[in-house]
Amino acid sequence: MLKELGRGLITTFKMLLESPVTIQYPEEKRPVRPRFRGRHVLKRYDNGLEKCIGCSLCAAACPADAIFVESAENTDEERYAPGERYASTYEINMLRCIFCGFCEDACPTEAIVLGANYELTFTNRRDAIYTKDSLLEAVPSPELLTPQKVEPGEYTRSIPEMEDPKL
Amino acid sequence: MTKQVTLTIDGIQIDVPDETLVVDAAKKAGIDIPVFCYHPKMEPVGMCRMCLVEIGRPMINRSTGQPVLNEDGQPTMQFMPKPETACTNLVSEGMVVLTQSESAKEAQKDIIEFLLTSHPLDCPICDKGGECPLQNLTMEHGPGKSRFLFDGKFKMEKQIRLGELIVLDRERCIICARCVRFQEEVAGQAVLAIDDRGRGSEIISVSEPGFDSVFSGNTTDICPVGALTTTDFRFGARPWELLSAASICGQCPVGCNITFNTRREAKSAGKVVIKRVMPRQNEQVNETWICDKGRFAYHYAKSKERLSKPLLRKDDKLKTTSWSSATKLVAEKLGEAGKDTIVLASGRLSNEDLFNLKSLADGLGGKAVLYTEMGGGDLVTQIGVGQGTNFSDMGQGDAIFVIASDLYEEAPIWWLRVKQAADRGAKLIVANSRETKLDKFANFVVRYSNGDEVKTVQDLGGTGKIAQAFSKADNAIVLFGSDGLGLEGSTHLATACANLLEETGHIGKANNGLIGVWPKANDQGAWELGFHPEPDLAAILKGKAVYIVGADPANDNPALAKALKKAKFVVVQDLFRTATAELADVILPAQTYTERDGTFTSGERRAQRFYAAVPGLGESKPDYAITSEIAEKLNIQLEGTSSVLVFEKLAASVKDFAGLSYAKLAEVTEQWPIVGRGDLYYGGSTYENTQGLGVQLVSASDRGETVSIPKVRNDAGLRPKKDELLAVPITKLYDRGTTVAPTEFLTERIGDVTIALHPEAAKKLGVEAGKRVKISFEDVEGEAVVKIDETISAGVALVPRSMGLAIREPVVIKVQ
Amino acid sequence: MAHILLRHREIPRINEIDIYEKNGGFKAFKQAVKNMEPTEVTAVVKDSSLRGRGGAGFPTGMKWSFIDNNSWPHYVVANADESEPGAFKDRELIESNPFQFLEGMAISSYAVGANIAYIYIRGEFWELTATLDEKIAEMEKLGYLGNKLFGSDYSLKIYTHLGAGAYICGEETALLESLEGKRGLPRVRPPFPPSFGLYGKPTVVNNVETFANVPLIIDKGADWFKSIGTPDSAGVKIFSLSGRIRKPGNYELPFGTTFRELIYEHGGGIIEGRPVKAIMAAGASSSMILVDDKVLDTPIDYASVRKLGADLGSASVIVIDDTVSIDWVINKTLNFFEHESCGKCTPCREGTYWMQHLSQSIHAGNKRKQDVDLLYNVAKQMQNKCLCALGEFATMAVVTGIERFPQDFNLEVRE
Repeated sequence: MLKELGRGLITTFKMLLESPVTIQYPEEKRPVRPRFRGRHVLKRYDNGLEKCIGCSLCAAACPADAIFVESAENTDEERYAPGERYASTYEINMLRCIFCGFCEDACPTEAIVLGANYELTFTNRRDAIYTKDSLLEAVPSPELLTPQKVEPGEYTRSIPEMEDPKL
Repeated sequence: MTKQVTLTIDGIQIDVPDETLVVDAAKKAGIDIPVFCYHPKMEPVGMCRMCLVEIGRPMINRSTGQPVLNEDGQPTMQFMPKPETACTNLVSEGMVVLTQSESAKEAQKDIIEFLLTSHPLDCPICDKGGECPLQNLTMEHGPGKSRFLFDGKFKMEKQIRLGELIVLDRERCIICARCVRFQEEVAGQAVLAIDDRGRGSEIISVSEPGFDSVFSGNTTDICPVGALTTTDFRFGARPWELLSAASICGQCPVGCNITFNTRREAKSAGKVVIKRVMPRQNEQVNETWICDKGRFAYHYAKSKERLSKPLLRKDDKLKTTSWSSATKLVAEKLGEAGKDTIVLASGRLSNEDLFNLKSLADGLGGKAVLYTEMGGGDLVTQIGVGQGTNFSDMGQGDAIFVIASDLYEEAPIWWLRVKQAADRGAKLIVANSRETKLDKFANFVVRYSNGDEVKTVQDLGGTGKIAQAFSKADNAIVLFGSDGLGLEGSTHLATACANLLEETGHIGKANNGLIGVWPKANDQGAWELGFHPEPDLAAILKGKAVYIVGADPANDNPALAKALKKAKFVVVQDLFRTATAELADVILPAQTYTERDGTFTSGERRAQRFYAAVPGLGESKPDYAITSEIAEKLNIQLEGTSSVLVFEKLAASVKDFAGLSYAKLAEVTEQWPIVGRGDLYYGGSTYENTQGLGVQLVSASDRGETVSIPKVRNDAGLRPKKDELLAVPITKLYDRGTTVAPTEFLTERIGDVTIALHPEAAKKLGVEAGKRVKISFEDVEGEAVVKIDETISAGVALVPRSMGLAIREPVVIKVQ
Repeated sequence: MAHILLRHREIPRINEIDIYEKNGGFKAFKQAVKNMEPTEVTAVVKDSSLRGRGGAGFPTGMKWSFIDNNSWPHYVVANADESEPGAFKDRELIESNPFQFLEGMAISSYAVGANIAYIYIRGEFWELTATLDEKIAEMEKLGYLGNKLFGSDYSLKIYTHLGAGAYICGEETALLESLEGKRGLPRVRPPFPPSFGLYGKPTVVNNVETFANVPLIIDKGADWFKSIGTPDSAGVKIFSLSGRIRKPGNYELPFGTTFRELIYEHGGGIIEGRPVKAIMAAGASSSMILVDDKVLDTPIDYASVRKLGADLGSASVIVIDDTVSIDWVINKTLNFFEHESCGKCTPCREGTYWMQHLSQSIHAGNKRKQDVDLLYNVAKQMQNKCLCALGEFATMAVVTGIERFPQDFNLEVRE
């Protein structure tokens, strides 16, 4: 009986000397894994144009019907995304969203991605509906903001030219 | 009697008439053979090769003509070494068709693969996605993996505006030529063509302005890919995000069955709005087509100018008020006036609204006046076309007489159906004082001088080739309009037509009778319910209490504006704050037909139901509910809570509506071709009709009762005198009317107000085409752009209605 | 044997009407109109077993007998839209012996009861057509065309009509569409032209060379005609010899002549004396024939060429030696078919474009097995699905080229 007691106490003292694994959140934050599904972000291209072309495939794929998309026509004077079409309204109801990532999988231009931010709080239901301005990725410099005025004929393809599969 | 043929498709044995195509026979057996270029309403061409199936025919011994039997005693089947297209092969006795065999399935997969090699990766941005036959058939029959190198895809022009209404994307086009064939075969206007050859084949518009046809929207329904789309619905919504509501187009008396697709939008601050209009199948009315006006001109219903609150005039200013105060005042004033009440309504309203208005007028002892410039509806009530009338049944041996009506501009779908009846062999007689688009398809074209309308009709009752063609026809329909005529002229014309039909015995049965090409959708309904126009409206308005619903007399006629100022009390119940509303004491906001239920009676006397598509705007109420509220305060009990109840009352009181109910109007029977459902590729994206085909009213002549048709007055109509220019009114499809003008992208098609002159008249006035002139007549002054028309007489000028020049009937004008 | 079609080789000025008359011209036409019933004429031509020379080889007399006598009027159309790469026989006939062909048309019109005949001639031959119009006018002046010929009730007028540079208009129904003024797209068959042809009326469409044989048959009789050639294919054929040959040109030879005779005796053999590798017997629309001694010693007629795994077609014989790689050849034919595809039906429109694309890349050096396999599969995929023969023919050279000459595609020999 004492042997077992002794064994237990040795384990306890060993633990006493080990460093704790507790992460002191919120001062320390554990880094997320690469494929972590957090808050949505609408990505842009390097030149600032939005990747989202307003196709509503994310809305169609969403099992919780959390996404609402309205599209409109792009012109070269007021260009938001390459090609003909862009999302004029893009809303995600975060209370409905189950963070499954189907929207990310469905997107043909890799526009909607689930990022690393998981710290989402709101104080009323209206604030839970994230609109396009809050979902769009930030730009490194102001001239890359959309809408942009571009040269006519340059951005005619909505979906980027894909490379042939390498064999 | 057509011969019946028995054949076996995928093991299912069926009997079909012998002129059936294999693809249609399969559809009747419940088997969907995939197609792209085939459309059940057009001639097959066998172009896309998607319907390749294996067809076996019994081997026939050449000398005996009998099938060769095999050892089982069954006819030996001879299968062709190649698969054949199901759309170009007619059925034959004992045929065996295999649509799921190895070779047929291979063929279907291969054709999809071929089509996808050049088809761009546009699904995310293409409007057709979700209701796209190519998408659906790729999922069903496609190869699953692409073997084509992406950089080799053929690049063509995209987003080409063919006119302002239709957008063409040449890369998406699969050269099925459905659009070209529709325009040529069905619409009779070959404004589209294929240019170049091979992979570079492209669709072009060969008309100026681009795609100059009022049926252009139908090509977007039948296009199997997103090559042809409408600018109206461009990027509006995805088809699966839309809700549908069945309705009836309220723009003209044809009464095409449509579907409103709606969605709750953030763009419109969370309101449910109509995103687009799609045709709904009703083979007896509009088959599977609608015209562009019906498809695009619905935007007035969501215009920002719509009234949403009742208004009361206080100290000569119109201030918003509550419904109770507004209706209280109206009831008071109308009650005071009693017999001196005039209810002025137009054919824009539904049967229920008009019934309540008539009941109110009767209850007060006042007058129910129909606001219109076209008469003769009481005759149509008696000898309108019989139950079972269907233009599709008319052909060889029948006759159709169109007089004083430019069907293309007034009722395009009737133009389409009459033209198709003529193609099938019906004798088409077109009589007008000028050239119209129907002349090309007519067997006989009668050009009369303005004023000779009645004489022309009477000549048809005589002897002579044309008269013979009409009287000897098995069935004959007369369509009369008000082209170049006013109220009096059209009434005389209708009387003459009615006499002609009675004399030749063309009444009381299906496909025989009189049809009025009314300016509004429910004018026929108004006539049925007892409304009559008043020849001298201005005179009777003085000192009366006037309840104006759905009409704008002050804008149309300065004389009426003056008369209204002399009325004792004016109530206007309308959608917009019209010129008449500005003269009113009380303005009541009404709902459009898109916001409530009801019924319309089409020109063919068919009662059809329409259903609410969007919620009512602001505080507006349905017209029948407003009338019922007012009536209640006058101790006249009228139904007002729902249109079903109003209709019940209506059916009980009006003889020709006896036995009808909302349930009866909502009945549907299976129609051919089968559209909608899972295989949109067969008939296009027309909606299936699940909410009612409507019922044609029985008329007095149908019941065999004696009809009372007055003798026609053979006096002269208004004729141009020497040195005078007589302006006659004509109708334009796209005008500045309330129901069309608010649609902004139609502005170009609406154009400027024109006056058409004969070259001689133009020379005399010293003007040429394109010049702006000043026009004055009676109290009206305005401007117009000159057009030259060689087919009219020199003393006549054509002025379109509802374009800004208030013309109601032939009138002498001064031009400078 | 003296030429019976290319008679100008012996009688140089036979394209002048008086010389033609002096050499027995128009005797057959007069004989037919004055002394024979139309059905008799058809019977003689049927008996002669003359086969169409345009490529299909369909028995001519049988075609004429299919004409629908319940629908009038009837038409006769000569297909002079010679656009097949490697075919240039009709051109020589029209240039140098036009009256024999015109007389054949006239006899045919009489046989089927047509009073109007058309010659659809390719647009590139506008100069020849101007001359042909003059020849027709000369015939009219001498009473061989016009009203009430030779004192009978029969009238005939012949008109020429220029095409506008489309190979597809050599296909008979596309030709009829073009003649009617519409886009030259082939029609769905059935119905065939003898029941539903020009303007929906019964029409006989035949090749120029076919018509050129007719006066001889009427004049000298069916048995005489059958004595030339082989039992399967009677008469002579004009072979348009081209390719790597010393003496390219038209050679009129009876059926039964071997390839060896054609190439070596008449064509002078291969340039630089090299060995023959392949023969394309029907121009660009052919299957490739892998040449060995057995092939060279085959007497040429429709049936025996079919036994070699190819079709004789219009006998536009293109000879290929070992300096030419087959992938280069099919690249050329695919360029041609991609350009000439009318675009009406999906497999041909997309398939020719795809095949040309693949072939360009293969010829540029991507001769990996999967690329060549893909080209072969696409070609096989197009077969038996197209609306008209152009689509089928576009695949013949590709399929047989890859099957029979795998070494040119760096492939192991296929089974």
